[in-house]
Amino acid sequence: MTLRPWQKNALRIVGFLLVLLMLVLAAGHYLMPQSNRYLEGYTAGGILGEDFDTIDVVVLGDSNAAQGIAPMQWYDSYGITGYTYGAGWLSMYNLYYRLAQIYEEQSPRVVVLCTAPAYSKKSSESYMQSAVGDIADELLPLLRFHDNWKYLNADNLFTEKDYSWRDVNKGYMPITDVSPRTGGDYMYDTGPEEPLPFLVQVYMRRIVQLCRDHGSQVLLVTVPAALGWNLARHNGIAAFAEAEGLPYLDFNLAENDPGIDWSTDTSDGGTHLNWLGAQKVTTALGDYLREHYTLEDHRGQPGYETWDGDAGSYRDARAEIEARVREAAGLTA
Amino acid sequence: MAYNSFAYLCVFLPLCWVAWALLPQRLRSWALLAGSLVFYWLMNGAYTLWLLLAAAVTWALGLWLGRLQNLQAETLPTLAPAARKAVKKQYTALQKDLAAAGAVAMVGLLVWLKYLPFAAGALNAVLARLPFALRITAPQFLQPVGLSFFTLMAMSYLFDVRRGSAKPAGKFRQVLLYLSFWPHVVEGPFDRWDQVSPALLDPPRPSYQAVTFGVQRILWGMMKKLIVADRANMYVKAVFDDWTKYSGAAVMLGTLLYTLQLYAEFSGCMDMVLGSAQCFGVPLAENFRQPFFARSISEFWRRWHITLGAWLRDYLFQPVIVSKPMLRFGKWCHGRFGAALGRSLPVWAGLGLTWLVIGLWHGAGWLYVVYGLYYFALQWLGQLAEPALLRVCPALPGLRQRRWYILWQVARTFLLVNLGMLLFRANGLRAALEMLASLARPYTGSLLIKLDARDLWVLAVGAVVLLAVDLLHERGVRIRAALAARPLPLRWAVYCGAMLAVMIFGAYGDNYDPAAFIYAQF
Repeated sequence: MTLRPWQKNALRIVGFLLVLLMLVLAAGHYLMPQSNRYLEGYTAGGILGEDFDTIDVVVLGDSNAAQGIAPMQWYDSYGITGYTYGAGWLSMYNLYYRLAQIYEEQSPRVVVLCTAPAYSKKSSESYMQSAVGDIADELLPLLRFHDNWKYLNADNLFTEKDYSWRDVNKGYMPITDVSPRTGGDYMYDTGPEEPLPFLVQVYMRRIVQLCRDHGSQVLLVTVPAALGWNLARHNGIAAFAEAEGLPYLDFNLAENDPGIDWSTDTSDGGTHLNWLGAQKVTTALGDYLREHYTLEDHRGQPGYETWDGDAGSYRDARAEIEARVREAAGLTA
Repeated sequence: MAYNSFAYLCVFLPLCWVAWALLPQRLRSWALLAGSLVFYWLMNGAYTLWLLLAAAVTWALGLWLGRLQNLQAETLPTLAPAARKAVKKQYTALQKDLAAAGAVAMVGLLVWLKYLPFAAGALNAVLARLPFALRITAPQFLQPVGLSFFTLMAMSYLFDVRRGSAKPAGKFRQVLLYLSFWPHVVEGPFDRWDQVSPALLDPPRPSYQAVTFGVQRILWGMMKKLIVADRANMYVKAVFDDWTKYSGAAVMLGTLLYTLQLYAEFSGCMDMVLGSAQCFGVPLAENFRQPFFARSISEFWRRWHITLGAWLRDYLFQPVIVSKPMLRFGKWCHGRFGAALGRSLPVWAGLGLTWLVIGLWHGAGWLYVVYGLYYFALQWLGQLAEPALLRVCPALPGLRQRRWYILWQVARTFLLVNLGMLLFRANGLRAALEMLASLARPYTGSLLIKLDARDLWVLAVGAVVLLAVDLLHERGVRIRAALAARPLPLRWAVYCGAMLAVMIFGAYGDNYDPAAFIYAQF
């Protein structure tokens, strides 16, 4: 069979792209971090170190979630196993792919999807750029981990990667800084809802569908954030929740206020919560979870020994963190 | 949508190419126009109206000029010789007025959207010295992307039509495509209508070689931008933004890296631009020709941002020095200062004006005025010193052919260009002067500012590769053609290696702070 010139060229292009794709995937594998500790910002990657099918509640979000929800407090108080998978600038696109990866090892009963990533993006990027960039990062690990070439050497290049590291705080990042917020009410009526960007909506639906496919219930939650959240955004998420038939818990609303004091409970003037704020939100969310879902108390159960051990470490560190943040906030013990 | 973004390279460009290639020949220029308008709209939104306005004015005036020229060509032969001269004069004056009206409209648009706050500030500084209180408030606008490029290209179109060196476009969409063509609308080059319009309006058939060569050039541009320029930006930004903290070697390295950054970034962007256009069979003008092999400042500017220099030479410098007032000025100088100065002074005046415009074109601020005048002073002093140098050293013309002397000239030009770069990048005139002074002070801190040792190694290797490629080009080697003649496995290995290098060593992601294209702000 004789090929026409354009057919030959097309074959050549396809062949080249296949070779390139194989090389990109191979390079991506070798550039992945040696430990799951460095898979993602904060300690999100620690979820891969947990024993299979031990986590009942997975919290997905960005830095607001990572600094605002402390799942080990739930285990310590009620025996609920949870993990906050959150890091700075994680988008809904990232979260969809990460959740798919989490489902390979865990079967959570509840997935708490924090809503801040629905509207957050770097100011230097458009929504489309952010979407294309994040999705490409997820599909091609080489793009996400490219800078790890700096840490590769002859010794670790071909050694097996160790993804057994666990985080005592279960994804939560305790912050002890205090920087009060001075502004007033931020949930005043700003008019209509702020519509969700199209691709964000698509990926939120994909997350919801993925949860349904795996038998998890989805709860939408907004962590208190005086800067970056408002009533228009709440309305946008509420409309999505209604359309999808999902429960939605916005801790910024007065009726759900867990008792946040913006003069002491934020580390950066209202964008993120510190330890004090996180304790309040975690308690309120924990109460809601216990009330609305059937979640087992795993304390002392066989197979949860590491959780019991981590709870002890968490309790040991707690007093010191508490003292530090209360001192920074000017609160007496 | 930046030329190096994933959205541009992996979505926009391939989609445009497929649409362009699948359409019948007569519709291909429509595909280019649609792609250009979508591209501009994505970057500017409603500001696209300014581009449409500029294109409409340019098209209408060009058409009018063309009709006048046709009318003139038809009418003049029918007239008696006595009347012919007067009528020709009338036609010429009318055409001149039309071209001038177009220039005023484009300069007006440029001033209105870009220079008004600067002009008002300068005027207010003068008014503040007056005994009565008077202050001008200028409206502030968001500057449309590529404003300085499409307005200047519109002017070159009108001037060329007026001179008869280009035929006017019959259709509005043709002028709109010329001004908005996405590869050159953001950072140039300043393409001329007569050179670019044949391929734009009647694009050649899709060709495998054009696409592969175009993609290779884009890849080379990506390597320059992502591996070198964006990595150097980390160091440069830290030193220039916090200049009071640094001195000596840190400032010197910062300046060198800025020169490297600007060259890698601007020439890299041009590679992406020219490569993109090449995929569609449109040959755009080259904007760089190994500038760091220049032996003098004038030669440097004939190799750096070539199309800007050529534009100013053809449409500002040359018309100014042959203008009636300048000829009168020359005569006056001749009578006053003798033949040599009578010849030189008008040229210097024209040169001074050109450099002032180059400075202001780069930005609305006094720093840019000084930047332009710095190069004018260098050129002027060079010309002034030449006769004295020849008197002191009569063997100079012979020495200039020697290799060591050429190397000295290249090194001297490189040094002077670096000083100009420091001026260009500094945060104001005071900062520039203090940074210059700080070069003499020792720096005892670490030179690993925002970059680790591995990053500096990558920069060093990147600089060497850039130099090597420039050297090959200087010697006339056509690298892509040479590579195309090699066996397929070798070619693929080179292309895959280059692509992997961009993906692995590119300074993108959370650990870096990539800069927006610097010349896109002009």
